[in-house]
Amino acid sequence: MNAARLIYRNITRNGFRSGVVFCSALLLAALPFGVTFITEGGRASLQLVLDRLGADLLIVPEGAEMKVETALLMGKPAQAWMPLEKLAEIARLPGVARVSPQLHLATLSGASCCSASEMFIVAYDPATDFTLRPWLDQQSGGALGPGEVLGGSQVTVPNERANILVYGSPVRLKGNLARSGTGLDQTLFMTFQTAHEIARMSATRAEQELVVPTNQISAILLKLQPGVSPRDVAARIGREVPGVTALQSPELFRGTRRGLTGLLRIIFVVLALVWLLSVAVTGLIFSLAAHERRRELGVMRALGSPRSVVFRLLLAEAVVLALAGAASGIALCLAIAFWFREAIVFLLEMPFLFPPPALLAALIAAGLLVALLSVVLAAFVPAWRISRMEPASAMRE
Amino acid sequence: MFDLKQVTKTYPLDGTNPVTAVRELSLSVKRGEFVVITGRSGSGKTTVLNLIAGLTRPTAGCVELDGVDLWSLPDRQQSAMRNWKMGFVFQFPSLLPSLTALENVLLPMIFRPAPDRGEVADQAAKLLEMVGLADKLTALPRQLSAGQQQRVVIARSLINEPEILMADEPTSNLDDQTEREIMATFEQIHSLRGVTVVMVTHSHYPGTRGARIIEMAEGRIVKESRS
Repeated sequence: MNAARLIYRNITRNGFRSGVVFCSALLLAALPFGVTFITEGGRASLQLVLDRLGADLLIVPEGAEMKVETALLMGKPAQAWMPLEKLAEIARLPGVARVSPQLHLATLSGASCCSASEMFIVAYDPATDFTLRPWLDQQSGGALGPGEVLGGSQVTVPNERANILVYGSPVRLKGNLARSGTGLDQTLFMTFQTAHEIARMSATRAEQELVVPTNQISAILLKLQPGVSPRDVAARIGREVPGVTALQSPELFRGTRRGLTGLLRIIFVVLALVWLLSVAVTGLIFSLAAHERRRELGVMRALGSPRSVVFRLLLAEAVVLALAGAASGIALCLAIAFWFREAIVFLLEMPFLFPPPALLAALIAAGLLVALLSVVLAAFVPAWRISRMEPASAMRE
Repeated sequence: MFDLKQVTKTYPLDGTNPVTAVRELSLSVKRGEFVVITGRSGSGKTTVLNLIAGLTRPTAGCVELDGVDLWSLPDRQQSAMRNWKMGFVFQFPSLLPSLTALENVLLPMIFRPAPDRGEVADQAAKLLEMVGLADKLTALPRQLSAGQQQRVVIARSLINEPEILMADEPTSNLDDQTEREIMATFEQIHSLRGVTVVMVTHSHYPGTRGARIIEMAEGRIVKESRS
């Protein structure tokens, strides 16, 4: 018999009381954790896309900013074109170190000549590319050859085939990128040569011809010389290169980020109300429990328990229930996020990736702390009051 | 052993009509005495017991235990004094419902720093055996009769080998046969262990030989005798 056993017995004896406090702690931890977890997952996902772009500026045709963002984020194919000459114009600007063009294409919808319906295709120029090459070296052992493609994490070869069909042309999946939680996961990467070959053959092999406009490109990735301000170059492009828009990395997905922030604001107001309610309910439960156990606690005081021990016992019960509830709440959130990740992406219309381990650990610790402090706060006053009562008064009916 | 000096206890019941339960009462109890406090309901006998034990603070006067003013001590020391020197048997069911009989007996020991757990557990089992409950060690209070519960309480009151045993109407809810058995247990504890016993009872107490009978009325001692 020791204090820990006494705490355990008191918790298990009154299932209803313990259950309510447990559920309050679960809510107190799960709600802020879940919301922050999902929004941080969204942020992590966006950051990963930015990191993968590996460019200081992304140049897109004027007016196509949102389409390109949506394509990168949600995998919804977008096609926008600008003249190839823009590449040379931008490359000549002071401070520009490297430029690399991209073509943005899409497979057909519901056509037997394409293995996947409406899949976003990014074609790049291996001669100038500086963004895809590091992934290729890392994940698929070198540059893509003719007829080879690199897929996002969700791109697979159909069961019945050895290759993926794109406009009737078979392409070999050389490797997959790691999961990003964004549209990149459903994107197919190939070289200009492969894209042009597919387009050439599509006239005879596909249900509909793939048209790649001559001397047109969809986007330009731009790397600056060290020390050059992306903001200055973007402004200069805006002034000197008409018909294009230069997006700085921090500006990309601004709409989605703004959406996330707005969502957070609303949710935090709701959370604050839920928090207040949960603390009030938990406080009430502890008050009732302390009152119900008045005589029992009075007996303990009579038997030689100092006030501080009674106080600590009551708080310890609260702490155990808070930690158990909070841990369960967090585990529940993680399980939901893991099993229903696709549904979250679909419902919230934003990318989602499990946050990095350090951030995840910090979120878990914060969730536990919020629940712990809230429950202890709720239990503090009833525990303090009952522990300050004279034993004789506490034992009196 | 302990002295009550001109002690008054007033309860501020509803704030407007305070009730004085004990009035300028002085009482001295010596080590090894068997003191029985009797009186009608509301005469203040339970309050006297609570005052002696430090379970309630006197409104006026002084309570001394072995020459030390109980209320001059900080809570921790006062609690330690109760834990080391006193045993309690209450009128109401005072077992913790979530603990077994054995664990209830051991309860006072968890408020002490690092007791020898094996030794005190053996001692608790022996005490339960002494009160005739050797086969009820793992029983929860709800599985015991009122008389059995009160016996567990008696065993609990002895686990700390107290110098003073305080009993507040320990047999009020029990049948005659159980009452006689419980009383016999108290007398046995007193005679064999030399424990000072202060017992409150509203019934006429036939008493152990040589017991000091204090009769109270309206918060005062009105008669004192020996059985």
